Amino acid sequence: MKKSHIATLLVFLLLIPATLFLGTKLPGRSYYITGTLMILELMLPFFMVFEGRKPQARELVVIAVMCAIAIAARVAIPIPNFKAIFAVIIIAGIAFGPESGFMVGAISAFASDFFYQLGPYTPWQMMAYGAGGMLAGFLFAKGRLPKTPWDMTLFGFFAVILWIGPLLDSSHIFLMLTTINWNAAMASLIAGFPMNLTQAISTAVVLLFLGKPLLDKLDRVKVKYGMLEKGDSL
Amino acid sequence: MGTLLFLETFMKYDAFSKCHPLVNFLFFVGAIGMSVVIQHPAYLLAGAVTGGIYYLLLNGKKGWKIIAGLLPMFVILTVINPLFNTLGETRLFDLFGRPYTLEALLYGAALASMFVIMMLWFGCYNKVLTSDKFTSLFGNVIPSVSLLLVMVFRMVPNFIRKTRQIIGARKSVGKGAGEAATRREKLSDGMTVVGALTGWALEGSIVTGDSMRARGYGAAKRSSFMIYRMTLTDWTLLAVIAVLFALTVTAAGFGQMTAVFVPDVELAPASWGLAAYTCYLLIPTVLHIKENVQWHISRSKI
Repeated sequence: MKKSHIATLLVFLLLIPATLFLGTKLPGRSYYITGTLMILELMLPFFMVFEGRKPQARELVVIAVMCAIAIAARVAIPIPNFKAIFAVIIIAGIAFGPESGFMVGAISAFASDFFYQLGPYTPWQMMAYGAGGMLAGFLFAKGRLPKTPWDMTLFGFFAVILWIGPLLDSSHIFLMLTTINWNAAMASLIAGFPMNLTQAISTAVVLLFLGKPLLDKLDRVKVKYGMLEKGDSL
Repeated sequence: MGTLLFLETFMKYDAFSKCHPLVNFLFFVGAIGMSVVIQHPAYLLAGAVTGGIYYLLLNGKKGWKIIAGLLPMFVILTVINPLFNTLGETRLFDLFGRPYTLEALLYGAALASMFVIMMLWFGCYNKVLTSDKFTSLFGNVIPSVSLLLVMVFRMVPNFIRKTRQIIGARKSVGKGAGEAATRREKLSDGMTVVGALTGWALEGSIVTGDSMRARGYGAAKRSSFMIYRMTLTDWTLLAVIAVLFALTVTAAGFGQMTAVFVPDVELAPASWGLAAYTCYLLIPTVLHIKENVQWHISRSKI
């Protein structure tokens, strides 16, 4: 068994149950700290796999470029509330597979918060963005979904509205609510819906028009330089 | 004039930022970690005041604006809570057929102040633990991820500059959306710019990657650019942080921070735990003021 697999098992079988157990023992309102610890623990295996793989210089630089484009794209499209970050993360996931997709998502969330404002929501953003990139990579790998503009557009729309958005909104549940119950949780998910809808539409629009050209550029670089072949398996 | 200079230097030199990144990081982990669990009003007050003072010392006049921006957030979060949480003895009025209670309102205020305190300490963290400190701290633990972060931190300003160049170049040949353009035009123009940026950046990235490999990246364990050494002051600070943190946690263990809001407000009386907590949070402020007073005194002696 690989070191990273053992680490994943340890995280899921020991670390997370232990956190949940201790979380219930803590006095007061410990949802936030328990939730954050669990998020960090969930991300741990991904980072360990990445470190254990000893990525090559080229791969590192390409991932960094995708993160930086995801963050800098807002300067190119000067429309308020229009975010291209999810679209770029999804494209990176489709082009380079689930693992790199996760890294691009998590790192761009963290770096973007470093530029604007780190906060209690940062771990949630890292996980949600990373999960988005990972899902894209997983669903489009090995031709499971065809990489046509409309498929990517539909995927982008539903990924933001059903997957990335609710994951982001779950931070509100842990952060803002005094008692966590089903009704209150649903209420905050519904409150986040209009925002998620805006983001989903902008993601879909970017993917529709930019998805194919950007993917072609990435594929060209990939084929031309023979990169990221081992990391693609899942 | 003298006082003016004094005030200026007061904000410029932050002694705590000059400490080892490990000390900074552990302090903030402790401060933020405790502030998300403790909901006793006395402790909240201590957290808000100490966090606010340090935030203002770091940010100067700009800090007031941000703090003023946090106030509406505080109010909104406070009044929202009774809508979800209907427990409580004192009913103020009914809203949508559900009781709106005083206890739930107070609970909301406690929760809102926890959020505000957290934002204040995160704001201080942003100022103190800059990206270079972060990567030097984690460079040995997660070398690839830290390198990735360093590259992203460098690329983002670089790409923004390049984006402006591309926009400028397109404008000079009569293309691109101006100020008066419709959303649709702005959008399609933005897409073209992002496409151009990506093409340029990817080609550049391969050159960078190959250059890194040619210089031996991955050939041996990567040494890091570490200019920070643990000094005697750092060790002392670390010890003080550890002791005060342990005291606060022990106090919590004795139930000194117990605060129940619903259905009835029950607060544990304030005692030495509060003192330990306040002292912990005052560490950076005390260092900051001590350093500046010393500097002022040694200057006035010349």
